[in-house]
Amino acid sequence: MSLLAFFQWCEASGIGETIRKSSWLFPVIEAIHLLGLGVIGGAVLVVDMRLLGLGLRRQSAAELTRDAQPWLVGSLVLMIITGGLLFLSEAIKCYYHDAFWFKMSCLFLAIVFTFTIQRKVIMTDESRLRPLWSKVVAVVSVLLWAGVGIGGRWIGFS
Amino acid sequence: MKRVLIGLFCTLTLALCYLVTSPTQAAYRVQRSSEAAGHIHLIPPDPGAEKWARLANFSGAAPFDAASLQSGANEGNEGTGGVGGTLLAFFQRMGDSSWSTGLHESRYAYDLIESVHVWALCLFFGLAVMFDFRLLGWTMKSVPVSEVARRLLPWTAVGFVGMVISGTLLFSAIPLRSYQNIFFRAKMIMLLLAGLNVWIFHSGVYRRVTTWDVDNVAPKAARVAGALSLILWVCIVLSGRMIAYNWFDCDRQPQPAIVNFLTSCVPTQAEH
Repeated sequence: MSLLAFFQWCEASGIGETIRKSSWLFPVIEAIHLLGLGVIGGAVLVVDMRLLGLGLRRQSAAELTRDAQPWLVGSLVLMIITGGLLFLSEAIKCYYHDAFWFKMSCLFLAIVFTFTIQRKVIMTDESRLRPLWSKVVAVVSVLLWAGVGIGGRWIGFS
Repeated sequence: MKRVLIGLFCTLTLALCYLVTSPTQAAYRVQRSSEAAGHIHLIPPDPGAEKWARLANFSGAAPFDAASLQSGANEGNEGTGGVGGTLLAFFQRMGDSSWSTGLHESRYAYDLIESVHVWALCLFFGLAVMFDFRLLGWTMKSVPVSEVARRLLPWTAVGFVGMVISGTLLFSAIPLRSYQNIFFRAKMIMLLLAGLNVWIFHSGVYRRVTTWDVDNVAPKAARVAGALSLILWVCIVLSGRMIAYNWFDCDRQPQPAIVNFLTSCVPTQAEH
């Protein structure tokens, strides 16, 4: 099955159809999606700002990651579920929309980056790490997540 | 750090000004909501909709029509419309301004400002929610509350300023419709309540923070403040997102009387 055929199948699915036919389902799901984004923003920023030397500084980045992790993962799951529902209702539009592909690339990179490279840098003993590295990691992480946010917003603009 | 931020902010403002002023081609004015919003998810208006215009009349005196509003806006309305009428006329003039039309019709400015609004939301809402979670004991339990407040709340203030600036710009692009939008009104009221909650928290239980800074469970007043703040901000985000939808707009009639009361829509006698 080609990618387009898959997207067409998604669009034709019963769930997509239901959401499309309702005048309020899409907005409500979208609003919950936005809340998830906000919480992810908080969970990501607490850690990244620590790496940049802003925000909370007395705690180690590893401690803050442990605290913020459940919220990051939880809202990520929420976003993927609600985002998936939104996607099903307009899969063809997404297929032809640059913002969608931009967002998916950013999302993929952000998730991989957060749970591999960033995790590794955070867990490394701070004294054995050049401070520049944690800053670079934080900036990359913020940029990737910001890309996810703006990409999502621009799927709505045509 | 401060200088970098100020520099960034100035650059952003300049870029926005440029975007707002440069790419406007269309010269015609758009204010009628049915044509107004390429950015809004419009449901087609009902055929009978012309009989209703987006007019407000708080005192319930004789309804006035669009023409009288536009011409004699100031003097004419204070008699009939009171505060609501004056505000309405003000927003109507704002919507007719070249600034508003330009913002509304420009190719990228509106979308970019909305993106900034979303980014600022992540900064403001995300960190504010983290603080609320801390008050509720859901995260960062080993960090003293005062530490979280001192280090994170200034950043929520930065985010809030960004939200207010971008939000005001968005409002100024579609002022009249927003003003009579039920979700916008709900959002503004909840913003006031959230502000009140912040004030009560900081002038009340937070003054004694040293006595409960590292407690496993914060005092009830603090937990209530956190929960209230959480609920209010969630509802504000939800209703903010809903402003884009026109289910309850004045030009979609018939609406239940309560909706027309809450959005201060009145039927006009204007002929079409």
